[in-house]
Amino acid sequence: MVATEPIANLTAIIAEEQLEAGGFNDHLLGNNGRITVFPKTEQEIASILKYANEHEMKVNIMGGGTKRGFGGIEESADILLVLEKYKGVIEHSPGDMMVTVKAGTTFQELQNFLAEDEQKIPLDPPLPEASTIGGVIAANDFGPKRLGYGSARDMVIGLRIVYPDGTIIRSGGKTVKNVAGYDMNKLFIGSMGTLGVITDITIKLRPIPKYESVILLSFQDGNLQDIHTFIIHLLDSVMEPTALELLNPALAKKLTGKSAFTIAISFEDVESSVRYQVDYVKQNIVHSANSSILEQSDARNFWDAFANIPPNGHKADSGNETKAALKIGVKNVDVLQIVKESQLLEDSHHLKVEAHGGLGTGLCKVHLAGASDDVVSAIQSLRTITENIGGYAVVTHLPLELRQKIEVWGEKPAHFFLLDGIKAKVDPKRILNNGRFVGGI
Amino acid sequence: MGKNKVKTSDIHILNLAKLIFGPQAILYKKEDLLAYDCDGFTIERHLPRAVVFPTNTEEVSKIVKYCAENHLPFLARGAGTGLSGGAIPLNNEIIISLVRMKRLLEVDLENRFAVVEPGFVNLKLTNSISDKGYYYAPDPSSQYACTIGGNVAENAGGAHCLKYGVTTNHILGLEVVLPNGDIIEIGRNGIPDSPGYDLLGLLTGSEGTLGIVTKITVRILKNPEAKQTVLAYFDNIEDGSQAVSDIISSGIVPAALEMMDKTAIEGVEAAAFPVGHPKDIEAVLLIEVDGIAAGIDDQIELILAVCRRRNVREVKVARDEAERGRWWANRKTGFGAMGAISPDYLVQDGVIPRSKLPEVLARIHKISEESGLRIANIFHAGDGNLHPLVLFDSRIPGETEKAIQAGSACLKVCADVGGSITGEHGVGIEKKEEMRFVFNEEEIKAQTDIRNVFNPDCLLNAGKLFPTPGRCAEVKRELASKS
Repeated sequence: MVATEPIANLTAIIAEEQLEAGGFNDHLLGNNGRITVFPKTEQEIASILKYANEHEMKVNIMGGGTKRGFGGIEESADILLVLEKYKGVIEHSPGDMMVTVKAGTTFQELQNFLAEDEQKIPLDPPLPEASTIGGVIAANDFGPKRLGYGSARDMVIGLRIVYPDGTIIRSGGKTVKNVAGYDMNKLFIGSMGTLGVITDITIKLRPIPKYESVILLSFQDGNLQDIHTFIIHLLDSVMEPTALELLNPALAKKLTGKSAFTIAISFEDVESSVRYQVDYVKQNIVHSANSSILEQSDARNFWDAFANIPPNGHKADSGNETKAALKIGVKNVDVLQIVKESQLLEDSHHLKVEAHGGLGTGLCKVHLAGASDDVVSAIQSLRTITENIGGYAVVTHLPLELRQKIEVWGEKPAHFFLLDGIKAKVDPKRILNNGRFVGGI
Repeated sequence: MGKNKVKTSDIHILNLAKLIFGPQAILYKKEDLLAYDCDGFTIERHLPRAVVFPTNTEEVSKIVKYCAENHLPFLARGAGTGLSGGAIPLNNEIIISLVRMKRLLEVDLENRFAVVEPGFVNLKLTNSISDKGYYYAPDPSSQYACTIGGNVAENAGGAHCLKYGVTTNHILGLEVVLPNGDIIEIGRNGIPDSPGYDLLGLLTGSEGTLGIVTKITVRILKNPEAKQTVLAYFDNIEDGSQAVSDIISSGIVPAALEMMDKTAIEGVEAAAFPVGHPKDIEAVLLIEVDGIAAGIDDQIELILAVCRRRNVREVKVARDEAERGRWWANRKTGFGAMGAISPDYLVQDGVIPRSKLPEVLARIHKISEESGLRIANIFHAGDGNLHPLVLFDSRIPGETEKAIQAGSACLKVCADVGGSITGEHGVGIEKKEEMRFVFNEEEIKAQTDIRNVFNPDCLLNAGKLFPTPGRCAEVKRELASKS
């Protein structure tokens, strides 16, 4: 519904300089707002939602905007609620190894702050300089070190959420263990902002490892059987890699200069343990692989570069190419097949393909660029292959026009009525990020 | 048709008996039901209407459908080791016991998962895969008896969750019978992040109020290359508490970091697994580090240095697996050991931010003095999970009530310092009023709203988890119409 007058009335609840007509309104990825609001306090967020809810105005939520191409089939909502001014650390207790932070804080700012106490959030999501912690949690984003440290659901211990009617709800708390009531944190992590606006997040921290190395194993002749043999051996050993990521040749070329299927293996621990594990890998390498080792800052630089490869929804995609990104979940070992099949799309669909997958987590990310029709057909092809081996494929970046044609989340699950039932209870007027999630929730 | 010879005038029991196979698949005589009037929380007892023992998901579904259609309250039960009363039939429920669904269905070492039925005992999983060098991480002290289905319901923890997390961090998939009898599957093939709200996370720890889990896919881990275990004795509880914080702040993530105070030590030394802790010390820490062997010595050195800086009286490293095993047996049987020094005891389960440990222990000590009851403390110090054990004698009139009050006061202290009322035992019946220490009305409503999506008629495990006004209206009506 077009609601011009109520929008004008927003000035009654928020200062005029925190409002912007249009603003991001012409973005090609959609998920815009006819008016953009930049709240600075939780109370302002609550007032805006309460007002929007009463007037049945739709609200899109945005952090750094990196995930604008992820879900959503509308050009624009009534309000775009941007959290970039709601930022800062609320409490950091180094002795308790936890931090409470406002959602609009960028991931990198937060990590830099914690590094002063030799601590970190054990997540390595893409685009850390542009992504906000709120966006990372709401989209359940992650990187290759998920193997060693888990994902958002393993480390978020408390949230404050503004419900669509303006009520502020706390879930979890400030303790690392807590089973009082339902584990409501889980409901909001990965919910794509469809249930409430996450305002404050309390996260369990880890010490920055005392030492780290990355071994890059490149398989020049592309023999996937060798990779398979090596991986099965390594996974069955007592080694403790924090990342075990397979890269397709194009991505490996970009990051290492060598165009070959490459495994990046990360070890993080005290120095003696890291060296021991690196030696173990060197001694057990199949002969067809070449290895190189990156230590300390070189290892960190490698992963920093890695984190910046996906398409950034904050910038409108340039040129004539259509860009897409997928997250694909399969059994660990099937990652080999997904990365291989992605590679084949280069020739079969004339696309640029960057693909990687966690051989210990079963989660792959595939980035495609090329002609629109080829991208769409490649997505369908990957999804079919994935579903045939019992997995799922979610499109995490795609222009609006194509999102309206392709079901980016895939088919509705059989228990969709529960998901929709939850949405209907929490957001009965469906004002928040309407249509952004599974099955049009 | 089942082969059950059932003689009763209760038509529902006769009908239910027809839905399940196998000998003695239903209990309904009072003398048989007595064993089901409580679980590990023994202060409150109620008889169920009947206990049924399905052997597969379809039978569970049929039973649930029957109950739903006939408005019969029902609940699921595993081994009955729960400590908060989650399996107690408050409303004369039909108990669906899952102990006969106890198969290990699949082990996939390459993809690191196993699939079990809910009645499968926790420790059996590790025992089944240990020859190949794998284990299942969550290790509640009752792991020799408790079932993985029960662990999912309670989101069970254990001594080693400091490094490895609690049950919810290890669940990859569930098959669930919903309160209307529908069977759903969440998470397939052990693959994480299936699209949609995280129902796995929501169901785990929902204390059997959202559905009945009939199949569970869990993550399995490779055994660490090496383990070292340290005992450290302190003359001063403050020093012991500070050592805990210092170890964590030093950048080590121990696999376990346990603490017992003087009264607890008196108990464990008088019970079945004494290890010769000095009787006159104020605190003992049990610290375990695991991982790559090459890195362990450095970490142990660091831990020893921290303990010395905090005036430790004595530290020792376990010489071998046998000694390590004795130390853990001494700790893991700690609750029961209180029976050696007190006729009765009540276990509490508060959690606090680690840094508040000294303050909270001092306040618990004060509660003990004021109530005149001894309180032993056995706890997972590394993650701030306290288990105050209130010692009392139920034969003395009024002492049980006094113990309950003292336990509740301990939880209030935990909540006041920013903690919570339960870290791993659950709310159940025991702590539903204490939920108000940590949640306001709106937050409780947010949770009961979610329950109503799954369990709208509230026939499944009603009267648990939420303070009284949050109780299901339907069941209240049901009960009112009976009385």
